[in-house]
Formats: sequence, C-alpha cells, structure tokens
Amino acid sequence: MSDDAVSDNGALEAVPPRALAARGAAWTLQRGPRRWRRYSPWMFYAFVSPWLLGFLALTAIPMFYALGMSFTNFDGLSGHWHWVGFANYTKAWHDPHFWSGLRTTAVYGVVTVPLSLAGGLGLAVLVNRRLRAVGVFRTIFYLPSVIPVVATTLMFKLLFDRNTGLLNTVLSWFGVGAVGWLSDPWAFKIMVLLALWGLGGGMVIFLAGLQGIPAELLEAATVDGAGAWQRFRRITLPILSPVVFFQFVFATIASLQTVVQPLLLSPAVNSGAGGGFTDPTHVQAGDYLYMVHVYAQFFDYQQYGYGAALLWILFVVILVITAAILRSSSFWVYYEVEQDGKAGRR
Amino acid sequence: MSGGGMTFGTRADQRRSRFLTYTGLILLAALFVAPVAWNFLYSLKSAAESASINVHLLPQHAQWGTYKQALTLIDFWQYLWNTLLIAVPYATLITITSALVGFGFARLRARGRSGLFVLMLATSMVPQILTVIPTYVLFTRIHLVNTRWPWVLWGLAASPFLAFLFRQFFASLPAELEDAAILDGCGWLRIFARIFLPLSKPVLATSFILSFTWVWGDFFTPEIFLNNDKTTLAVAMGNGYTDPVTDTPLSNVLAAGTMFYVLPVLIVFFLAQRSFVRGVATTGLKG
Repeated sequence: MSDDAVSDNGALEAVPPRALAARGAAWTLQRGPRRWRRYSPWMFYAFVSPWLLGFLALTAIPMFYALGMSFTNFDGLSGHWHWVGFANYTKAWHDPHFWSGLRTTAVYGVVTVPLSLAGGLGLAVLVNRRLRAVGVFRTIFYLPSVIPVVATTLMFKLLFDRNTGLLNTVLSWFGVGAVGWLSDPWAFKIMVLLALWGLGGGMVIFLAGLQGIPAELLEAATVDGAGAWQRFRRITLPILSPVVFFQFVFATIASLQTVVQPLLLSPAVNSGAGGGFTDPTHVQAGDYLYMVHVYAQFFDYQQYGYGAALLWILFVVILVITAAILRSSSFWVYYEVEQDGKAGRR
Repeated sequence: MSGGGMTFGTRADQRRSRFLTYTGLILLAALFVAPVAWNFLYSLKSAAESASINVHLLPQHAQWGTYKQALTLIDFWQYLWNTLLIAVPYATLITITSALVGFGFARLRARGRSGLFVLMLATSMVPQILTVIPTYVLFTRIHLVNTRWPWVLWGLAASPFLAFLFRQFFASLPAELEDAAILDGCGWLRIFARIFLPLSKPVLATSFILSFTWVWGDFFTPEIFLNNDKTTLAVAMGNGYTDPVTDTPLSNVLAAGTMFYVLPVLIVFFLAQRSFVRGVATTGLKG
C-alpha cells in the first residue's frame, strides 16, 4: 500500500483533487488484486539478487572469516596456525596502543562529527539566501568535499609544512617562529581541520533540505512575531532533524574507521625511497587512530589473528554506537509525516 | 560601498548587513580555496625553491616544467590506464546491478520485500573500510589479489546507496508505464531494459559518475590489493615523486601531479554538478 502511494506521487502532482480521487478509485479497482498474479514472487528476488548475493559473498563471509581468524595465531603466510581461543582479545586488553588508539579515535569522532555537522548546517543557512553570486560560494564550499582524500591530505601537508608551508610563512611575517604543525602536539588538530575542510558535503545535503521547507511556513511565523533565531530553532531545525540524523549516523561510522589521512600525514611519506606510509611507526601519536593500529598488525607485523580481533572489536563498538544513535532518534528527530507514508520530498 | 552610507534607517541597515555577509563569505571562501591555491603555486616552484626555507608566496619564476616532470618521472599514463581499467568496469557494472535492485524494490512485490529493503539500508551502514582487510585476506587465498577481479565482483554486488537512488527514482514513475507493456506480453527484464532504463538516463549518469569517482579517489583498497605495476593514480600520488638521481623527494612535482590527479574530478564536477548534488541530496535526505 504505502509503496503505491509513493509511485503515484510524481504522476499525480498536477491533477486536481477530485480527478485524483476518481483516478485513484479506478486504479484500485482495476489493478489491486490482479497485480499479484502477473508474475511470480521470484521475479523480485531475481532482481534484488545482486545485492543479496553480493552482500553475503563480499561482506558477510569476509567478516565471519575474520571472526574465525581472530581466534587463531594466523600470520597470513604459513599454514602452521592453531586456535588460541580468546588470547588475541586478552592481548588487546593489555595493549597500550589499543587503548590509546581507541581513545584518539573517540576524541576524533566526538570533535569532528558535531563540528562538521554544525558547520555544514551553518554554511547551508548562510548560502540559502538570495544573494548575488551565491552559487559561486556554494561551489567553493562544496568543492573540497569532492576532492579525493589523497589529494586533500597531500595539500594539507604542503600547507602546514614546517619549513615551506603557507601557514608558517604567513606567521613569520608577524615574527612567529616555525611551528611543526604536522608533528605531535599539533598533528591531531591538523587532522581535525582536514576533516572540517570537507564539511561542504553536509552543506549540500542540508541546503537541499532547507529548500524543501515551505516559504509560507516561515512567513507565517514571521507574521506571528517570531525572530530569526526562533524560526530556525522551532521550524527549520525540527524539519531538518531527520536529515541531520542520517548525516550524524553516517559521519560517525565514517570517522571511526578513518585510516588514510593519518597514514598519509605521517612525516615519513615521500621522504626518501620507497615512501613511508606502510610504516605506521612514523605516524604521530596524535594521529595514531585505531585503524592505523589495525593496519599495522596486518601489513607490518603479520599478526593477522590479532588484527582480526582488533577489527571485530571496532566492528562491535561501531554497531553498538550506531544502535544507540538509532535508538536515541525518537528523542530528537522530528518526523512530519508517518515514516512509511511518503518516501522523501525531493 | 565603502563607508559612504546614504541615509540611516532600514535601507542602510540592510546594506550594512549585506556588506558583513559578503565579507564573511569571502573570508570563508578564501580559507576553503587556500589549500588548492597553495598547492597550485607550489607546483610552479623549482625544486630548489620548493625546498628552500626562504619562502615566497608566489614562485620566483613559474616553472611549468614541473607538470611535464609529473607525467614523465613516474609512469603516469600507466597509472591512469590502471585506474580506468578498474573504474570503468566497476562503475558500469555497479550502475546496472544497482538499477536492477532498485527496480526490484520499486516495482515488484514479494513476501519480505519491505524487510529486505530495511536490511539493505542497514547494510549501507556496515563499516566499509573494516570489511576491506578481511576481504583482502580471503582473496589472497583464492588468488584474486593483484588482479582486477575484486572490482568486477564489487561491481556485480550492487551498492545499497545507489540501489536506493534508483529505487527512489523508479518509484516516482507512474504505474501506467508497465501496464501497457504487460498487456502486450512483455517480460519484466524487457520492461526494465526497454522502458525504465531509457527514462532513467539522468540517474544512470549520476550513478556512473559517483561510482567512478569512488574508485578514482580510493587509496586504501588499491594500496593493499594491487602491486605497483597494477595500482592506481591515487596510490601513485600517495607514493610521491623522487629525484631519479639523488632520490630526494620532489614535493613541487608531487604538487603538479596532484593537480593532474584532481583536475578530472573537478571537470566532471563542473560538467555534472547537478548529478553530484542530486545523488548526494536524494540519498542524504532519507535513508
């Protein structure tokens, strides 16, 4: 039922209500029961099978394979492995890098996700006005989020280089001595900035949401004497909250598995032969996110069993956090219509 | 504009607020552009200047030769070809399979459809980078590492994200479309291929462009799956450039290489801005 309502939306938009009712009635009469007999349900399964089989073969099986591996001392090469029970998990408990990586990643997520959502929303409000050349600004803010992560990271390395970077050059005009932005007390903050540079991606989504808010609603509120902040707080924000919510979920999941940025920001990269990114020991402590530690287990120390255990711990952590966020939605996400009714205003 | 306020009252106020808005926007825009602009200026510096501590904002003598070096010091064209060899089949396949899946969810019925739909949306939340490493270990055992087959398989597996995009589009089309075809005795695969696909050209383009840029921008997967002779431009840029004689890193050439690497993305972005925004907005609005 609900899906039929969806398929009708687009087609019937311009039709006056009475005609719509008549057509709707005819439509049910003609099609309702007969439709079921037109094809076997297997047709549906055939159409969705790429996703179903693909998910089983390329996500579920590898993940359970890793789960099995996490109870072994497999090193990726030799066939001489055996079961070790929970040894890898107790090893993690006593591994200081496990805890520091977890903590750094948690702080990274807690800082970058709200900041980039708030920043994206703020920018969206800023460029959702009738201003000359506003399209240019939208493009400029959005652009960094489509630049591949390798390129944004390399650009940041040049920008914040201790000797030849733009920031230190500008600071030197004011007599500030060279700061090693990519090394430890600062490394983490630069990585956060790098994440924030891409907040235009959220901006575009929020902008689309803002433009779906009926103008009459805001006008009526203005007539009733609501100020700009009140309109934002009482109308805009509740209407946007589902959008904010999904952004929040996906941004959180993405931030917890960040790995490329720290590897490429490490000072060893591009210095000398062979590059250095396969050596996580060069990653600054502030950039040593959880996934860097996982990466090191697999590709530097050949500790596949331990790496798999670390992966599964993070997997469970992400699942729990995601579930908690989804659970919390009823407290702060406002749904204008029943969720299964209309699938998204465009 | 500057300082010459005409009169007081709301008009002047409006002007002032507009002036403030523009000032803020321009400052912000400068911040957002700075990394790219600096990268560009840097790419024009000579090797000596780029390594010197005596930094000038503008290069002393613009050295366009770095761009030639960026193409010749490494096998740039080979890396580009490698990227295309995995990105084009991947984007083509995943667009077709995601369209099929989206069509199934939008137009066909069967028991368990809504449950499966929710499951599909849920799987789009599975942490992807997390699953890449186990897949790598598994694929090592069946000798798929350092081949292009993983991307073919991922393409065949459809993407929940793109399938959702297609589902939203197909669901918005009127039911009369397939009715006539069914009366004519047309099969569902033909209805899909002959009626629905031609109508969905904009979505097909969006899907192809998005999935293509995923591969183009992906560093992690090719870095662990492919050896240097088969790897992509993203990994090549991550490895950087070194002087063939002294083996010192050449960050100015790398900056030029980065410009080459980013340029196609920017061009596609400007040509297909609508597609980008549509893809992001539709799927971001409701999950």
